[in-house]
Amino acid sequence: MSRWRYFFQRVLLSIPVLFLVMTLLFVILRMGPLDPVAAMLGPEASGAQAAQIRENMGLNEPLWQQYVDFMVGLITFDLGQSWVLRRGYSVTSMVATYGPRTVWLGFWAILLPLFIGIPLGFYAGLNSNSWGDYIASFSGIVWLAMPNFWLAIMFLAILRQTQGGGFLGFDWYTIGPNIDSIIGTPPLDFVGFTQLFPPGGFYFNGGELAVAIKVILPAAIVLGSASMATELRIGRTAVLETINSNYVETAKAKGLSNRVIIWKHVFRNALIPLVPIITNEAFLLIGGSVIVEVVFGINGIGRLYFMSLTQGDLPLAGSLVYIFTIITISMNILQDLLYTILDPRVGYDQ
Amino acid sequence: MPNDNGVSRRSFLKATSAGAATAAVAGCFGGDEGNGDGNGDGNGNGNESGNGNGNGNGDGDLSNVEKAQQAWERAQDNPAPEDEETRMEAYLEMEEAIRDDMILLPLYHGLTERFWYDTVEVEPTGSLGSHRQQHNETTTEDGTLNLINSGVSSLDPIQSTDTASGVIINQVYENLVHYPNGVPEVENQLVEEVNVSDDLLTYTFTIKEAQFHDGSELTASDFVYAWRRLAESTASERANFLVEPGFLAVEHETEGEGEEATIVPDSLGVEAVDDRTIEMRITEPQPSTLDILTYDSFAAMPEGLVGDIEGYDGEYSQEQISQEVMVGCGPFQFDMWEGGTEVQVTAFDNYHGSGPELDAIHWQIIEDDEAIRTYYNERNADIFGIPTPFYDQDKIEAEEDDMGRQIGTYGELENGDTVNYLGVSEMSTFYFAFNARYADKAVRQAIAYVTDHEELINQVFAGRGVEAFSFTPPGIFPGGNEAYQTFVEEWPYTPNETDREGAQQVLEEAGFTPDEPAELTLTTYESEVFNEAATITRDKVADLGIELELEQSEFNTLISRGEDGELQFYSLGWIWSYPSIAYGLFGFEPENTNTEKIPEDADGYYLDWQVEMESEE
Repeated sequence: MSRWRYFFQRVLLSIPVLFLVMTLLFVILRMGPLDPVAAMLGPEASGAQAAQIRENMGLNEPLWQQYVDFMVGLITFDLGQSWVLRRGYSVTSMVATYGPRTVWLGFWAILLPLFIGIPLGFYAGLNSNSWGDYIASFSGIVWLAMPNFWLAIMFLAILRQTQGGGFLGFDWYTIGPNIDSIIGTPPLDFVGFTQLFPPGGFYFNGGELAVAIKVILPAAIVLGSASMATELRIGRTAVLETINSNYVETAKAKGLSNRVIIWKHVFRNALIPLVPIITNEAFLLIGGSVIVEVVFGINGIGRLYFMSLTQGDLPLAGSLVYIFTIITISMNILQDLLYTILDPRVGYDQ
Repeated sequence: MPNDNGVSRRSFLKATSAGAATAAVAGCFGGDEGNGDGNGDGNGNGNESGNGNGNGNGDGDLSNVEKAQQAWERAQDNPAPEDEETRMEAYLEMEEAIRDDMILLPLYHGLTERFWYDTVEVEPTGSLGSHRQQHNETTTEDGTLNLINSGVSSLDPIQSTDTASGVIINQVYENLVHYPNGVPEVENQLVEEVNVSDDLLTYTFTIKEAQFHDGSELTASDFVYAWRRLAESTASERANFLVEPGFLAVEHETEGEGEEATIVPDSLGVEAVDDRTIEMRITEPQPSTLDILTYDSFAAMPEGLVGDIEGYDGEYSQEQISQEVMVGCGPFQFDMWEGGTEVQVTAFDNYHGSGPELDAIHWQIIEDDEAIRTYYNERNADIFGIPTPFYDQDKIEAEEDDMGRQIGTYGELENGDTVNYLGVSEMSTFYFAFNARYADKAVRQAIAYVTDHEELINQVFAGRGVEAFSFTPPGIFPGGNEAYQTFVEEWPYTPNETDREGAQQVLEEAGFTPDEPAELTLTTYESEVFNEAATITRDKVADLGIELELEQSEFNTLISRGEDGELQFYSLGWIWSYPSIAYGLFGFEPENTNTEKIPEDADGYYLDWQVEMESEE
């Protein structure tokens, strides 16, 4: 059972990590240079006014009391209220509103590269050193080199020009479902229940779904661009390695057809090194979504985080960091779990 | 319309200064060419150093700092309407003291610009800003007005401190008085008649008949309730406007000591005499009473709507009133607010005044420059601002109207359209300020000598601003336009020129040389343009005897460091809530600039000007 023991060790280890992050957050929020009252009131904050807000926010309590309250709040997921962005509104509700938009963006940002990057990579690998391979590999490198914020601005500039036809020969606004603007938050109410408790009245609106996909598409391509290129290159290498491996030689010797060799053996094995790459992309997406959401005007968690930082909304920023930490730690645990199940070598040499 | 496109788009509503400054600096501020030329021609002759000092006021023995202190006190001691002239003279003296002592260097006044498509008919706004405009007369072709806004923080009037929220509150809630379209002349909104007692301490308001969006009739007690919330609710962020000296200073009782002091429930000197009459008692005469009452937070709200003060259970919680529910008697009623994305209000059919002509107003919440550019090029916004990176001064063709506003066209935009243009000089001043503890007078004057206002605005702010030579904007300058022109002509530090010789001379007289330079740190907040302005200044004085160190500080940090007296030389801005000279100058009363007392017992600018007062005594 040593690999399960290894897994549980990993899970236990994440608790002090989380605890450390929470403490660090407290130190930054309550003891750092930012004055929350000035953030709320601006320079005209009068003495009595500021004092009252201080009192209301519990900033007059002894520090240890504040620390205990803070930790208990985080653990029980009582994340407090926004100070600046939405005065007095609970952070949990804000996350519930903004979160799904980022999940929607992230979903497509992972999916699109998978369906473009990996096939291209496999194509390049199977046709190595051909012109097709050169073009695919080279454009992959160029694509990787283009920073997200620049790419996002280019997308906006080009798609905007297509309004009413244009030099590209199509009108992005009218292709497929009509949209008014290429920026903005995708409508996510295409699916749901009319009644939450008990769940009932399920509905689904295909037209809305199409709009939601179309609105998110440019942003998702930009956000997923880096991983698309990575997948292309790793896919190519993996295919090349597999093709030249001994068992493929054996299979050829046994007289299997090329089609069977490629579909049944090469592709399946080439996918293995790509799996951790894809799970790791989830981390990158959390960071990357900030810029992409800001430029495309998508009101998701990334933009919320950016705004809370620039405007000094400390409880909100802190809570978001806490949530990001939990997500990251859970992803790590999930990865460990997958390895533990899939790979019998894990844990034996510990 | 966001006139505040910047890194942080949050601009504090009217009352607060530098919050708006953070945003405005990178944002839509437009040049006023006529103004620039006029100043350039009229000045630069005979402004030798020392010219401006003690020019004929008969109190030549007084230091500037004492002059400022006495002038402020004189203005305070003469609050009656007939003393207007005395006050104006005093305020002018303060401006002169500030200028001659160079304790604060005004850089530019903001310029609000607005662009709109032909599909909209909208009144031009005045110098108090477009957020003051109620759209009950605006029309569009399809009945919906589409606007861009930045992030809205609260819908509760008593929490309103930022313009983005104020824009929406202003369509839904109404006050006794207002500034129609942001033109600085108070007009009745819900009040029919105002009477003031002979001692100037009791105001009697008779209110109009009007209906709230929930169907109930407006009565005097609704105002009393709304103002009690402003004073007593823990959510209130502008209680000071109601009860503090310098603002309305309405009668009230407090309990508790010092920082813990709170207002006794229902002790406010505001009463409903009958259904239509409100009586308000203030503790000291306040010439700006009506101006202060235009502030969003004084809006009427049905009595008992929220239970956040003693004696009311409330239909809604304060959180609901700040985020989900609005009940006012304005021309539009609240429709929806989709978190961080869009806000919509719809026409209220039983509005007491004329209009609204529109069916609805829709605000898309967008803050990124690129996203804003995309949105207006798609013709999705009817009225909008153009972020500075995409702004081209040469595309403006405008003429000045009788209020000094530039009205004309701008274009072409990327989509080929030419749009309507309005440029209004704003009641705001952005400045470099000194802390007298660290910055010697000679150093301050030298920096003024090398500052070329015109160059600064054109190079750094893409021409979007108006040169500032006084703290008080020209529109409300004490003594009117003539006094302002004289004041500018007497500006002793060679306006619109980099006068290195003048600077060198004052520095040498004070014993500063390149070998033994004065050392000073200039702190700007994180804004590209202000940093650039700071760099230009540093390079200009580098070989003159001032070693300027630059640093950047996050806005909130800058404020708290200023309060602690740690800033030596810093950039900030001030935006007038209402057109009152005193409202800007109060921060210069030398005793009020003492950073040891700020923020509790003083609320001036972080100048520590009082230091010079003590040393010369």
